[in-house]
Amino acid sequence: MRLALRAAALLILATAPGGAAEATRPPPHFVNDIVPILTKADCNSGACHAKADVGQRGFRLSLLGFEPQEDYEHIVKEAKGRRVFPPAPEQSLLVLKAANLVPHGGGKKLDPGSEEYDALVRWISAGMPYGQPEDPVLSSLEVEPAEAPLAPGASRQLKVTARYSDGSTRDVTRRALYEANDKAMAEADEHGLVRTLDLPGNVAVMVRYSGRVTVFRAAIPLGAPVESLPPEKNFIDRHVFANLKRLGIPPSALCDDSTFLRRVSLDLAGRLPTLEETQAFLASREPDKRARLTNTLLASPDYADWFANKWTALLKNKRDAAADITANFAFHAWMRDSLLANTPYDQIVRQILASTGTIVANPPVAWYKRVKEPVQQLEDVAQLFLGVRMNCAQCHHHPFERWSQHDYYSFAAFFSQIGRKPTAVANEDLIFHKRGIAQIENKKTREPVRPAALGQPTLDIPPDEDPRLRLADWMGDPSNPFFARSLVNRYWKHFFKRGLIEPEDDIRDSNPESNPELLDALAAHFVSSGFDLKDLVRQIVQSHSYQLGSEPNEHNLADTQNFSRYYPKRLTAEVLLDSIDGVAGSKSDFADLPAGTRAVSLPDNSYNRASPFLKVFGRPEGASVCECERVQTASLAQSLHLMNAADVKTKLTAAGGRAETLSKAEMPEPKRIRELYLAAYAREPEAEEVRLAEAHLAKPRTDSTGKPLDSQQARRQGYEDLIWALVNTKEFLFNH
Amino acid sequence: MSLPALSPTRCAGPLATRRAFMQIGLTGFASLGLPGLMRLRAENALKPPGERTAVIMVWLPGGLSHVDSYDPKPDIGSEYRGPFKTIATKVPGLRFTELMPLQARIADKFTVLRSMHQTAGGHPAGTMQMFSGDPDTRDKPKPRLPDWMSVAHYLRERAGGRANPLPNYIGVPPASPEYSSPAYLGDAYAPFSVSDDPSRPNFQVPNIGLGDEAETRRLSERLALRKSLDRMERAFDREGELGALDAFEAQAATLLTNPRTRDAFDLGKEDAATRDRYGRNRWGQQLLLARRLVEAGVEIVTSSLNGPLCGRVNNWDDHAVNHHQFEALRFRMPNYDRAVAALIEDIYARGLSKRVLVVVTGEFGRTPKISFDRSTGAGNASAAAGTLQPGRDHWPRAFSNIWAGGGIRTGQVIGATDKRGEDVTERPCAPGDFLSTIYHHLGIDASKITIKDFNGRPTPLVDHGRPIPELIA
Repeated sequence: MRLALRAAALLILATAPGGAAEATRPPPHFVNDIVPILTKADCNSGACHAKADVGQRGFRLSLLGFEPQEDYEHIVKEAKGRRVFPPAPEQSLLVLKAANLVPHGGGKKLDPGSEEYDALVRWISAGMPYGQPEDPVLSSLEVEPAEAPLAPGASRQLKVTARYSDGSTRDVTRRALYEANDKAMAEADEHGLVRTLDLPGNVAVMVRYSGRVTVFRAAIPLGAPVESLPPEKNFIDRHVFANLKRLGIPPSALCDDSTFLRRVSLDLAGRLPTLEETQAFLASREPDKRARLTNTLLASPDYADWFANKWTALLKNKRDAAADITANFAFHAWMRDSLLANTPYDQIVRQILASTGTIVANPPVAWYKRVKEPVQQLEDVAQLFLGVRMNCAQCHHHPFERWSQHDYYSFAAFFSQIGRKPTAVANEDLIFHKRGIAQIENKKTREPVRPAALGQPTLDIPPDEDPRLRLADWMGDPSNPFFARSLVNRYWKHFFKRGLIEPEDDIRDSNPESNPELLDALAAHFVSSGFDLKDLVRQIVQSHSYQLGSEPNEHNLADTQNFSRYYPKRLTAEVLLDSIDGVAGSKSDFADLPAGTRAVSLPDNSYNRASPFLKVFGRPEGASVCECERVQTASLAQSLHLMNAADVKTKLTAAGGRAETLSKAEMPEPKRIRELYLAAYAREPEAEEVRLAEAHLAKPRTDSTGKPLDSQQARRQGYEDLIWALVNTKEFLFNH
Repeated sequence: MSLPALSPTRCAGPLATRRAFMQIGLTGFASLGLPGLMRLRAENALKPPGERTAVIMVWLPGGLSHVDSYDPKPDIGSEYRGPFKTIATKVPGLRFTELMPLQARIADKFTVLRSMHQTAGGHPAGTMQMFSGDPDTRDKPKPRLPDWMSVAHYLRERAGGRANPLPNYIGVPPASPEYSSPAYLGDAYAPFSVSDDPSRPNFQVPNIGLGDEAETRRLSERLALRKSLDRMERAFDREGELGALDAFEAQAATLLTNPRTRDAFDLGKEDAATRDRYGRNRWGQQLLLARRLVEAGVEIVTSSLNGPLCGRVNNWDDHAVNHHQFEALRFRMPNYDRAVAALIEDIYARGLSKRVLVVVTGEFGRTPKISFDRSTGAGNASAAAGTLQPGRDHWPRAFSNIWAGGGIRTGQVIGATDKRGEDVTERPCAPGDFLSTIYHHLGIDASKITIKDFNGRPTPLVDHGRPIPELIA
């Protein structure tokens, strides 16, 4: 078997094209020629030979070839050199495996006779040269075109050029890797052919080659006539509408007052409007009533509760032990008060980052109780406040980014001088600056590195100075390319369901924003306002872009990223629970908190354990710095819970609840039904809805023994059914 | 994470099998979308397409003492040896302790793996190693990685094609819910939990078939009312969000109102002899229910054998302070033996032996050397507080689990431990191998699929390990 194989290989070698001419070509260069072949063939992907620590079947490569020297060692020298065999290069294990001529778990990766196969064989036959230090190195990567409009269903071939330090260039289209950032919008194949699908908008294709990344951006127009646009209320509308015009996506009409009232109350204050608010707002004739409502809500404690709920989960305010309660209440109260007082965002972040002392004296110190290690601190800070996911770079160069392990540990070094002194409270330290030169060991090189912010030079920080203050200075600097952009993008997503960059905390060159002018303008506005969060919210909800209806018109159903209509969002666990209480006239009860405390104002995750409702609807546990921990997708358990769970049933039948009150109220039936609709939907019922509800309420009812119920009892049950039905509709479960 | 130094061949298996396995691989998906997954299944041909394989995991929380059960060491000194004699089994040369006469009689219908080992000494970390492959040896409050059950639930749901209204992952009851979690997959992939005792005459499953007729009628009326009132524009949904919600609502309504969904949970539909054969107790009826559920099309079932049938502390954690180790086993094992033997018999007798894989395991074994300590309280299998009694402690370095069905060759013994049962001497198998084997049966190639975690990092289902060759069909 072995002999036969060898004979076959020799035969192939003898008949290979080129022959003598081949020998005169310079042999392939390991870094510039061989590694890209391995990368393109997927050999060094994380699921294959670049699997962490072990590789695959004892053969290990660095992820995506970022460490060519190690790869060279492993290919050429490890395993007693059995992977390469210059006297008969095609007999090399590396080649036999890659071509699947001996069984290979990864299957056939290279075709014998292909350009890549040929290069590998020539490289081995030349004695596996690594290359010389003076050889040219890759200096940049270019894609042509860099930008182009592409019709839906159209194709475009990209051309990728590598530029080297000696000025030479090479067409590497065949060796580059391609990936679209939204695969529902475009596909890119291995040859660099981009094909658009039927969704309009802006899509990017990431192009990678030999550790470099570049991007092709395509605008896919819908091409429908945009005849009328709502008036522009502010710069947001200017940029959103310009994009819609460019792409030919006519927006939906502006929403009515009921929709706006319910929408803005939910998005801004995390609750439904009360019956009184609804009646007053719908009755009001003031032309600026939407602006007034916005300001009222922004000034209310509900705004602070709602956003504190968002931020404390991301800042991991979680209760692992019963004794955490004081710290958690303190941290939550501090966050809420800061939002209520509208403390500038850069100040809030500075107070967390550079906090010292005890939690009781200075609540933001609690963050350091949750997040203990410098690497965790840097990863959380980068992802939460800068929108940069650094965690990949702990163990290897970030695959899609410029961040190296050096960048990673340089950032971690800001947190290297945090001193901890135990306090009387278990697990709670007093935090202080430990005098000394800030530095931390790079796990890869084992060398100490000093602090440097992302893309910034290394800092020389005197031993007496707390390096975290320097980090906070850089974060709040108006020229910081991440800080403001990350926040406005996060808030944009809060209101519009989709970030201008998705996911909202994955800002990188290879993941461009869908509307760059808008993101730039929002960030610039936020910086110039002095990082004013309430002002940002006001700008957003006062824009006509935010006030578009959610119903699609004949053109814009396919639009999911240009905000030509409001994309409906499911109510979150907390808001849904509060809203059901609001409509049913019931209360939820939470440990250690006054009766009637709303779920949005709960200080930490501990309540999820006692409330199956909150758990099943996905209230986060504060485990991750990513908003994606809050899962907003439907599940069977949720549907069963809404339909049949004991806690929901109890709310419907609560003593003194809305079903009982309405059934006893001295009002004509249509008025009672109207009240229910205003409470649940913030709108008037339609005549047909009143008729259906009346018909249901009029049904005769019997008790469990079959005896007819008296009319008030029957009506009460009818109202329970009606409330059940309303809170189970999509109109209720969604903010739209 | 690191293997003990012995590890000569890491669960590698015979060459022929290994070759065959290697040929079915497929390389390098950064992260799989649905089409990728479907393609993967098709290309790998791990299982015939369309076959809806299932797994029942019988879970022994706290860990079964391997030296007192499947890996007896009768020739060792009394500091190690328990009081139990060994008995021959249906498989020549294979001996169990006398605690399992029924399983001994059908030992040709399952395979014993004696060389399981992991590296965590605590219940949380040990369970997390077995369920998710998390190599962390320290106990932590919550799992970082999703357990295999949630992962399988998630991947099966993503693959689509299941029309059954029953939940696809049911815990009868769930296995150590405090140490398992869907983590970044989200709670939608957590088990449907059956926590009542199915041996009780009034056993009921909440949310499956409403109790009385009036309740069912009222819910039906409410559903009709909602349908007439729900006006929300369906067209706005492009991402299938409303579609998914509708599907779950329909499934929930079916579960609540359709009497046929109750049948899967109705042990009254089994004849008395069958119920007796499993044992008229909680564990027996749990495993009978598990069998009914896979027959009704549920694909992932766990059943935790815990509670009072274990003895005073409700689990298998037989430290001397908790239980008299040997009294506990005498108390506990007859019900265990009967229930597991009946389940395995049924898997073969009812034509489920290819489709359904059964695995019985705990998170670790128990210390081969007997320790003595004072009881902290009297109860079943524990003497009065203060009485010195024998116990065994946590032992992750070597333990046994058993495997049946799944089309595997049965009657085998895989691996071996040293003369005391303290360390693995042959064919060490780690949690990654354990998990890969289960995934393999479900048609999931764990070495290739990654799922993105909260940070977007493509996380492999199994970092290290491969299906145990003798345990794959």
